[in-house]
Amino acid sequence: MLRSVGLLLALILSPACVSICASERGVGQEASQQEMLKLLAEPLPAGAVAKHAASFYGPENLYEYMDGAADIFVLYGVRQMLHIDLRAQAADISVDVFDMGSADTAFGMYAAERSPDFHFIAIGAEGYQYEGMLNFLQDRYYVKLLGFGDGADATLETVARTLSARIGTGSTLPTMLAKLPRENRKPHSEQYIPNDPLGHSFLGPAYVAAYGSGHPESKLFVTVARDRGDAQQRLKQLEQHFTKTGKCEPAPELGEGAIQASNSFEGSILAETKGRYLILLVNPVNGSEQFLKAAAAGLD
Amino acid sequence: MKNTPWNRRDFISRVAGSLAASPILKRPDFLFGQSTKSAPKMEPNAKPIYRTLGKTGISLPVVSMGVMNADVPGLIPRSYELGIRHFDTAARYQQGRNEEMVGRMIKEMGVRDKVIISTKVLPPGWSRDRGEMALPTHSAAEVKARFLEVFDGSLKRLQMDYVDILYNHSADSEAEVHSEGALEAMAELKKAGKARFLGVSSHKPDMALKEAMKMDVYDVVLIPLNFTKANDAEFLKTINEAAKRGFGLVAMKTQAGGAVKPDPKLGKPLTPASQTALLKWVLHHESIATAIPGFTTYEQLEQNFSVASNLAYSTEEQEFLSDKSAVASAQFCVQCSECRGDCPEGVDIPRLMRSHMYAVQYGNYALAEETLASIARGKGLAACKDCESCRATCRNSVNIAMKIEHLKTLTANRVLAA
Repeated sequence: MLRSVGLLLALILSPACVSICASERGVGQEASQQEMLKLLAEPLPAGAVAKHAASFYGPENLYEYMDGAADIFVLYGVRQMLHIDLRAQAADISVDVFDMGSADTAFGMYAAERSPDFHFIAIGAEGYQYEGMLNFLQDRYYVKLLGFGDGADATLETVARTLSARIGTGSTLPTMLAKLPRENRKPHSEQYIPNDPLGHSFLGPAYVAAYGSGHPESKLFVTVARDRGDAQQRLKQLEQHFTKTGKCEPAPELGEGAIQASNSFEGSILAETKGRYLILLVNPVNGSEQFLKAAAAGLD
Repeated sequence: MKNTPWNRRDFISRVAGSLAASPILKRPDFLFGQSTKSAPKMEPNAKPIYRTLGKTGISLPVVSMGVMNADVPGLIPRSYELGIRHFDTAARYQQGRNEEMVGRMIKEMGVRDKVIISTKVLPPGWSRDRGEMALPTHSAAEVKARFLEVFDGSLKRLQMDYVDILYNHSADSEAEVHSEGALEAMAELKKAGKARFLGVSSHKPDMALKEAMKMDVYDVVLIPLNFTKANDAEFLKTINEAAKRGFGLVAMKTQAGGAVKPDPKLGKPLTPASQTALLKWVLHHESIATAIPGFTTYEQLEQNFSVASNLAYSTEEQEFLSDKSAVASAQFCVQCSECRGDCPEGVDIPRLMRSHMYAVQYGNYALAEETLASIARGKGLAACKDCESCRATCRNSVNIAMKIEHLKTLTANRVLAA
């Protein structure tokens, strides 16, 4: 066994393999860029003309284009971004296509920037348009368009629909969101947080949705652990945290191992595990026990 | 009047003035080199060290909160509980939602008069291509109008009548530091009592400090400062001079790079001691009134704030800072180009350094090759072949000769196409 591992390591670390691996990495990067360039192949949508060649930015230099706003994209794992400016009749269109690496992280980044107040439109998995801006999500791409000048709004939609058709796949939101309770869910409140949900490194990743008709709202977090044991370990860490910073008690009415807890800076929570999931309800209100049970049942 | 469309940067500033929503975002520990191992324990009842922010007279704990990437509302009251009194945000962070979160939490806690709030406005009107500044695309009057509009949006999101420090955000050129429109707007806001003090933030700190010292405008300068500047005597001298002249100095990017520069260069895994060591190194410079490290977990908060009451290095922290391989691996080229004059061939050393970073630290060989290919003919790696070793000296801490040898090896072994 050790000999096999050693041989495998020797193979992996051999110059030939490094060269091959490097070549594959280079191919992966280049292939991704070629795919993105195809989205903006001639003829461009709306009879647009490119003002310059497309440029690509990676996580290490995205800040040159976006300053501090780049940080969020890096946090969500952006692989690269394509930027190009177009001229379509009297409108100037700025196009940014972010390859976020996966549909979930693309959704996470998209949801991080959307407001429930936006005007939502059916493009890709979801999109919105607001004052010269049109952003949409599809597959692993998060597309952000800006438009200025006469007819910009209409041109934005044409460009967006063309890009969406060229992307082709991935016109649905993450499947986990469909498993979360629908009743009283606040529209467009869903999120995906890959790391440190609620400020705790052991809780990532998590799907989130807000519930309630007023303020304050309750928030449901479904954190995805490796397995049942990991989920229970996460619950234990949560228990330790609240015991240290506030108070924590068993909540047997929810189920075995479930807790209710609170502290001065995070408020109140209910939490339980269901298989590989740790389910938390932040700011529970009356009837939350039934809600949490329904949430757990939906994960079957 | 020119009818030039606003570029993306302008637009984000404009839209940020009218958005209203609160997403939750999170930040992976590894991007900041933060460890998930147990953080140093906060000493019970430990009192933070206070310093005065230059002529502003504001007295602050030496560790404050850079809210930029934090979107867990609970971090703000917890920070306050522990003793943090200064919270830094900006209009364009999370498209305005960062300011909303700060405003909401400060209001809920009812502590507005007990904290120092800073925000930043990016003066619209500058076009930029990969860091190279172009000419301004808008008149001073237009810039002023947009600046005031964006700041108005900031106050609404913060739910405040004023901020304590208003920064001219990310002024990375002399022209931006001196932006007539931005300065007029800021002066007006200060006169109106909407900004108690004025500041400038910059990723080109040496330039920003020197320019600020020529002007009678800014009270505070927000600069990146971390241990990679340890050998930059001139820059450290500039910092001290600015502090002597009464400028309040705030340090950012204190843990060697921050979010925009992932941490693989620092090696893994990193211990909490490395993070506290890095922060202490910054705060050992008494010209710095306070640092605004970014943190997004409660663990990181406690880890960072543990430094505020004790700047003495532990044995483990001393070992980390004196570990040459750790320091060397953290070298990154700040692209100042001051080394180019040392090279008899005029080689484009900054681009070679960037290529090295892509290849060696990020494993992104395609980008490394692209960077090599972008170098002007005769100024790339091939021009280095006649020199036994590189004669260029980095004004910071980069071992240029070592990195060029690495690149030569990678191309000789055909890992990289030259």
